[in-house]
Amino acid sequence: MTVQDLATQLNLTPFHLEDGSRQVTGGGYCGDLLSWVMGKAPADGVWLTIMSNVNVAAVAALTDVACVILTESVTPDEPLLRKAQLQGINLLGSSLSTYQCAAALSRLS
Amino acid sequence: MKELSLNILDVAQNSISAGATRLDLTLTEGESGWLTVVIADNGRGMSPEFLAKVTDPFTTTRTTRKVGMGLALYLLAAEQTGGTLRMESTPGQGTTVTATFDRKHLDCPPLGDLAGTVALLIQGSPELEVHYRHTTPRGEAELSTEELKAVLGDDISLAEPEIFTWIQTYLSEQEAQLEGAVQER
Repeated sequence: MTVQDLATQLNLTPFHLEDGSRQVTGGGYCGDLLSWVMGKAPADGVWLTIMSNVNVAAVAALTDVACVILTESVTPDEPLLRKAQLQGINLLGSSLSTYQCAAALSRLS
Repeated sequence: MKELSLNILDVAQNSISAGATRLDLTLTEGESGWLTVVIADNGRGMSPEFLAKVTDPFTTTRTTRKVGMGLALYLLAAEQTGGTLRMESTPGQGTTVTATFDRKHLDCPPLGDLAGTVALLIQGSPELEVHYRHTTPRGEAELSTEELKAVLGDDISLAEPEIFTWIQTYLSEQEAQLEGAVQER
């Protein structure tokens, strides 16, 4: 499954979709404590979070996740959106809760 | 990070990387619940240009990767409680990082193991002159490696396991008394 497939099937908002053809093969991870996520989020996976500051881009780059989904209708602040564009990070949004989004993601896998 | 002591340890490591020979770690808690943490060193300091972007997580002196999260996460931890982070630095003279936290805020992480943090810092850099002070309305915890060295002499390294254990125990007892004083109120 690609990030674009994921975005379509979960009806995600593409805040920045750099590489929709990127394969999602690493499963998913839910977390908002960034230092914790740094050591836990799987490469090529999906990271679900409600955090929306610039540090999210850094953690996404560090862990090499396929995409980040901001849940609960959270939108990225301007510095995060700019860094996502600069660093080529797939940044998506969902109106679902983190739990609902993870459950929907699980059903697609 | 789940505890502020881990943030403090991370930021203090920057001082050691910057070649500091002296580190002052000062925590001051007021009656209002606000905590001020000052980490001051005499390391090589930063240029105004680097200082302006140092809390950007894509700014780092690391050569092994392009991301540096220490100060970025410290800033986030402070701002999540309504606090602030201020940095002052002079090339060739040193850097001072001052962060404030509202400890009554629900998103304020616990202080964590300050005694272990200070003991680790000293053991990891036994030549570094460390001055630690934690002041609260209930009392004060304090340790200076200068005083320790004056007692121990030049032949005993502060990296010795027995010294590490002593520092950790000594500070833990002082910190526990501060916490105990809180519970008794």
